[in-house]
Amino acid sequence: MRLFVAGLRKLVRRPASYVSVGLLAGLLSLILIAVGATAKQTAERPNGAAALLLVTFPQAYTLILSFILGLGGLIAVIYGAAVAGSEWNWGTLKAAVARGESRSRYALVTFASVALLIGVGLVLAFLVGTLMAVVGANLAGISTSGLSNSDALGRLPDQFGRSWIAVVEEGALGFTVATLARSQLAGIGAGIALYFGEQFASIFLPDIVKYFPFNAATAVVENAGTGGGGIIQRLEPGLALVVVMAWLVGSLFVAAVFTERADISG
Amino acid sequence: MTATATTAGSSGLAVATRALHKRYGPRVALAGLDLSVPSGVVYGFLGPNGAGKTTTMRLLTGLIHADSGTIELLGRPFGQGDRRRLFEVGALIEAPAFYPFLSGRENLRALAATGAPTPWSRVDELLEVVGLTERARDRVSTYSLGMKQRLGIAAALLSDPKLLLLDEPANGLDPAGIVAMRDTLRNLASAGKTVFVSSHILGEVRQLADIVGIIAEGRLVREGPIEELLTSRGRVRVRVKPDEVGAALARLEAGGFRPVQGSTSDDGWLSVAVGGDRASEINRSLAQAGIYASALTAETDLESVFLELTGATPTGDGQRSFGSAGATTVAGQASGQDPQ
Repeated sequence: MRLFVAGLRKLVRRPASYVSVGLLAGLLSLILIAVGATAKQTAERPNGAAALLLVTFPQAYTLILSFILGLGGLIAVIYGAAVAGSEWNWGTLKAAVARGESRSRYALVTFASVALLIGVGLVLAFLVGTLMAVVGANLAGISTSGLSNSDALGRLPDQFGRSWIAVVEEGALGFTVATLARSQLAGIGAGIALYFGEQFASIFLPDIVKYFPFNAATAVVENAGTGGGGIIQRLEPGLALVVVMAWLVGSLFVAAVFTERADISG
Repeated sequence: MTATATTAGSSGLAVATRALHKRYGPRVALAGLDLSVPSGVVYGFLGPNGAGKTTTMRLLTGLIHADSGTIELLGRPFGQGDRRRLFEVGALIEAPAFYPFLSGRENLRALAATGAPTPWSRVDELLEVVGLTERARDRVSTYSLGMKQRLGIAAALLSDPKLLLLDEPANGLDPAGIVAMRDTLRNLASAGKTVFVSSHILGEVRQLADIVGIIAEGRLVREGPIEELLTSRGRVRVRVKPDEVGAALARLEAGGFRPVQGSTSDDGWLSVAVGGDRASEINRSLAQAGIYASALTAETDLESVFLELTGATPTGDGQRSFGSAGATTVAGQASGQDPQ
């Protein structure tokens, strides 16, 4: 427990934690305000009405969540890689191991604190997004009466739970890649490459890529709320959740085993 | 000392390695290292760059795993799965490692959450010991190299270890910091703890260590009490009148003082490769032959000993490069090492 609490303290004091949430919330706010401020022009464009749903409650809830999960997944990959990679780069893993700390326990507990921080970040970004959607709705002259829609509010905990697991899985991939690379920069670079590589590959190999970690994560979330899969094939939400859990456990297992066996130098 | 002997087991050794081998790909880092570090001493671990010092430190702290050979820490075997043995060991390996965005105090608290249970009160106590109380709230990224080094020493002392492994602890310290560090380490040894210091600053080791181990190319080439080492590898320089050099050389060689070097061009100086404790014998021998020395110095220079043992003896012509420890020479000396 003391290791977990110490891990949380480190992340709370880490500038990257605030930059990640700030970036997510900032971009979301920018989009929502822009949509609200340009409502007249937006409505006249093809699919303009769909864009205005971002500031129309209760639909705005799920769309905000979907947006957070799209960009949030990428940020989680980078954040997970940054945390794991810096433990190797800064030599702090070395210092802990030299004190007799269990390597695999250290890695897993460090990730547990990352997972908790990701949850907090999701909640904060969602709250900011909702607030900005209200501002955008007022700018656009759209009623906010749907804000207290009980059906939408009732679905939120389930959507949040699934979203959290999906984003945590994406963070775990970044964490594991950086662990294998033993480097912050290499981990972040490889994590981003995997993220976009998978999106690109899904155009050509949709039947296979739908089982890949980022696609499966999107399926868990999209089917939970928005139901929008677009042209890309998606897994059923239940199966997607199982696949996401498998990737999560698998990647953490790899990170733990690698940390346990690796020579720690530098 | 009795208590320490108990913690070190029946062997009385705080650290013992036997036939330790480690390779990094094709490069051999350790080629059968045998170390014997007694309890309650300051042990100076010397070697040229790339000799295997840091590899040894990493093995002793479980950061890397040996290809073969055994390690004993505090009298008990240490291998994979024995991480709890490190609860009694404090270490500073290579550069001090900290989170740059945390303060010195927060870093020590974060480290205290790992390994052996350590109360937070210990953190403030150690910040005081290393003189960082005033800067304890500042981010480590604003610390100087010397301050980071002091914080690293505090981190190594967190669990009040019985065995302290320090890799180049004087790095970046100012003269006052070096003196304070030396006093701290000597006090720890006086309290029965074992301090294992890897360094290339020979003067520092000479002032600090009771026993030294010198390695070259992954093998121990010499280990023993520092005074014994200096005596056995010492040199006496004696100055006579230039026209008496020839007679003095003959007299000393006849007296069994070998090897002796000297020439008339060296302003009457002769050099005798014997321990400094034999300077009076040399003086007496020359005086009995009617040759009176105008100067006599007993040199016990650790640097000369180190260079000789590691095969890096300077040529004196300024041609030697930084990494010039000769493999052939070292191998020859390693095989002919003097076990103690």
